[in-house]
Amino acid sequence: MANTVIAQGITIEGELTSDDDVVIQGTLRGKLIAKDSVNVESGAVVEADISASSLSVGGQITGNVTASDRVDLMAGGRLIGDVKAARLTIADGASFKGNVDMDV
Amino acid sequence: MARANSSTSQGGSAVLGKGAHIRGRIAGDGDLRVEGTISGGVSLKGDLTVSDGAEIVADVEARSVTVEGSIEGDISATSSVSIGAGARVSGAIRGASISIEEGASVSGRIEADFELPPELGGKSGR
Amino acid sequence: MADVTVVGQGLFLRGSIRGEGDLEIRGRIEGDVEVTGEVTIADGALIKADITARRITVRGAVAGNLTGEEGVRLEDGARVVGDVRGAAIGITEGALLRGNVQTGAGAEGQKGRSRAAARPTVRVEPRKAAPAVVVSKPARRAETSSADERPGPPPPVVPALKKGARASLRKRAR
Repeated sequence: MANTVIAQGITIEGELTSDDDVVIQGTLRGKLIAKDSVNVESGAVVEADISASSLSVGGQITGNVTASDRVDLMAGGRLIGDVKAARLTIADGASFKGNVDMDV
Repeated sequence: MARANSSTSQGGSAVLGKGAHIRGRIAGDGDLRVEGTISGGVSLKGDLTVSDGAEIVADVEARSVTVEGSIEGDISATSSVSIGAGARVSGAIRGASISIEEGASVSGRIEADFELPPELGGKSGR
Repeated sequence: MADVTVVGQGLFLRGSIRGEGDLEIRGRIEGDVEVTGEVTIADGALIKADITARRITVRGAVAGNLTGEEGVRLEDGARVVGDVRGAAIGITEGALLRGNVQTGAGAEGQKGRSRAAARPTVRVEPRKAAPAVVVSKPARRAETSSADERPGPPPPVVPALKKGARASLRKRAR
């Protein structure tokens, strides 16, 4: 499986396009377009718009997110931006500020 | 102009011993192992070996070049250039294949003939 | 920390990678790479970027300069167009290089100075809100002795370059 993992301590700045899953534990600034799933783990800091098939938010995202399938905002996760997804879950303990559009 | 003592036109093997210091060009058909010092060009049809402790201050060209000593000048080989861990090389290096062992002291330019993939700007097929 | 960051085969980054840790690059990067750890460029990777790290091992294709403080190794399959600098440099027989080679510990320091002169360095400063991300070692910047001072001499600390600036800087550096 050709996975991408951005480890803690690493900062990526720019436009990222991925055919495969992406796991973010570090910092991403810019834009991420993933064909597959994106997992922003606890401790990660993302300042970018994200487009993915599915997105899991355990860390911090400032940016608009679009998922063809689903967005899951976990406890401890923080999302500031608009969400466009067919399915959305926001866990108790998650933080969210933005608009939601589920008419995808 | 000094001449290396190459034994036959097919090239034999010649050695420039430790005590030898040559000022001038060396040309030959055969192989040459240098243990002394040369300041002046080396041009061989055969293989050149520069032993540990040997020193050439000049451009060299040969079929293959193996360096454990020091070359201050350009290296041009039709086949391989091998630079050992104890070598000191400064100058351009050209050869069909080039290898450098970690530990060598190298300051110069390598010009292998190849193309990068097109995504990195290489032309397809040159 | 010190998990390896893996840039997967299916990934294309137009931008920079900086920080503490090791990198394994299997995909495609156009931009800039500067990390404190070890960088491995896998077979099949396509890099159009300068790479600065403690140690660099190349098995893929690189158009850019390689600076490995402890060393740089080009292994079989490597295709590099660019300058290679490092305390120790190893080039295996099957590796192909077109560029300058400079061994020696001093090479890195020289590069630091000439880089600062040639183009402003993009340093990603941690935003106040974000957790601290340690990016570059102050010792490598000319004239900077302690981390807390804002040095007068170049380079200016710029959080991000304007669009197009990076491309024109790269063109200038080439």
